[in-house]
Amino acid sequence: MVTITEAASGKVLALLKAEKRTDAALRMAIEGRGPGGFQYNLRFVGQDEQAADDVVIDAGDFKVFIDAASAPNLQGVTLNYVQGPEGSGFRFDNPNPVWTDPKAVAVQKVLDDEINPGVAQHGGFVTLLDVKDDVVYIALGGGCQGCGMVDVTLKQGIEVRIREAVPEISRIVDTTDHAGGANPYYQPSKGGHSPLV
Amino acid sequence: MQRLLLIVTTASYRAGAFLEAAGRLGVQVVVGSERPLALAAANPQGSLTLDPAAVGPAVRAVVEFAARHPIGAVVAADDDGVILAAAAAAALGLRHASVSAVAAARDKHRMREILAAAGIASPRFERVPIAGDPRDAARRVGFPCVLKPLALSASRGVMRADDEPQLMVAFARLASLLSRPEVAALGGAAARHMLLESYIPGVEVALEGLLSGGRLRVLALFDKPDPLEGPVFEETIYVTPSRLAIPAQQAIATATARVAGALGLDEGPIHAELRMNEQGPWMIEIAPRSIGGLCSRTLRFGAGISLEELILRHALGLEIESYERENLAAGVMMIPIPRAGVLRAASGQAQAREVAGVEEIRITVPIGQEVIPLPEGSRYLGFIFARGQTPESVEAALRAAHDRLAFDIAPPAAARGGGGATPEPQRRAQAW
Repeated sequence: MVTITEAASGKVLALLKAEKRTDAALRMAIEGRGPGGFQYNLRFVGQDEQAADDVVIDAGDFKVFIDAASAPNLQGVTLNYVQGPEGSGFRFDNPNPVWTDPKAVAVQKVLDDEINPGVAQHGGFVTLLDVKDDVVYIALGGGCQGCGMVDVTLKQGIEVRIREAVPEISRIVDTTDHAGGANPYYQPSKGGHSPLV
Repeated sequence: MQRLLLIVTTASYRAGAFLEAAGRLGVQVVVGSERPLALAAANPQGSLTLDPAAVGPAVRAVVEFAARHPIGAVVAADDDGVILAAAAAAALGLRHASVSAVAAARDKHRMREILAAAGIASPRFERVPIAGDPRDAARRVGFPCVLKPLALSASRGVMRADDEPQLMVAFARLASLLSRPEVAALGGAAARHMLLESYIPGVEVALEGLLSGGRLRVLALFDKPDPLEGPVFEETIYVTPSRLAIPAQQAIATATARVAGALGLDEGPIHAELRMNEQGPWMIEIAPRSIGGLCSRTLRFGAGISLEELILRHALGLEIESYERENLAAGVMMIPIPRAGVLRAASGQAQAREVAGVEEIRITVPIGQEVIPLPEGSRYLGFIFARGQTPESVEAALRAAHDRLAFDIAPPAAARGGGGATPEPQRRAQAW
């Protein structure tokens, strides 16, 4: 179900040897979704960390463990290792759609077509993390993270448009750590920005 | 569905609480802000760009909008928007305190004139131009005295002077603050003068109230257990219910109602700061809006409704089942900025949250941002919230949590990788 290129396999082996863990397995997982699509996780684990429902792939010199939740979205994936002027690293070529749930597809379209072009003017972006039942989970970044007006952006813009476009959605949950915002567009002050009248 | 105009500045902490309350009430909101919102195009009926410093054009924009999308109430979340809110409400014939009353409360000198004329206990006071010399006025007012801006909020720019040398330092510092382009640009006449008052000793309290038809309902009375004696007046801990004796609390409520009446404030929220001494209560200032920052999270009424929901229900003429605050004591600490610089880290939050009674800790200044203490600054590092059986336990929880927090603040020059020059506010502070 997963193709590991010769370059990727060679790099994995080199890393296993460098870490003196030649008996370890490679765990491959999808840990979320972001602006660029799926977000992947690769790490070495002990053979004893294989779960009962893991999909196990024998890559020759090492094994790959894939958890059951990630497996459907890793079907047909090619793992490659690329090197170039912009840096080097593992790259996933994934033929699967980022979202299959029609509600998630519709919400993503709202974000792509309307919300993100708008917040981009303030240096921000909104990422769809998940849609579970009728609840949408999002994260705000860039100028939106920690912005004093993020509640207005959320309730007067994002929530309104998502609910209009996808009426089945009842709640939008902002999971952002706003205290971690490094460059919020508007910054709050207790007495207001320009307190003179 | 009813529609509410919420006037809120882009620097406000208050938007979220009001929008949440509106959501619970099923009320549509149009947000009026001084700058365009990021998603204004996505929801054209959800926002208006309204400059609170240009009330006439802003009111016309509101009236034009309301002709297409009827508005049932106008509420300002912050000081900046209260005059515009009053003017817009008047133009639409909606329930709100009058423009003249709100404007009087916003101008500390005008407020003092009105209260003195009404025979209400007032400190000696004089208005001093920032280009003038405050010494003659200070001699008439007497030392110790307090210099304050006419319209800044949250103790910003307020300084005590015990003698003439301190007065001159404070005067220069406040004049410099009022001359800053971002302050002076929107300040009008209020940016060209400051108020000089005789210092009023005593314990300080904050009263949160709601006016309806001229009747004041006291929603909460907060003690401020940290002494506020100068040279700057940094508010830190608010705890309610007050531990003052009941007659003193009643006197504070009576004094606040009298001040509101003298100013002509008759509808909507008020936030009043008073001092209490052996002569009775003294009004420091009264603002025709609700408590600032995130402090309203300390307040729950009736079956658990928020202060903002109470305010919106009042503005919209909806039923209010109870104005009674919950039985638990509650409090907030506005985490002070200990020194100027750039915030590099805020540690100890997990340990602080473990303190019994602490409900929430919010660090509101992003890492990497510049922080400026009073009197020039206008922000806090964040907020600590606590609840408990008694005001004493709440205060103790807030202090214990604060003790567990540590803030790494680098001098601005060092943060930029430069030399070790002392930041300007610290150098000035040595003059005290």
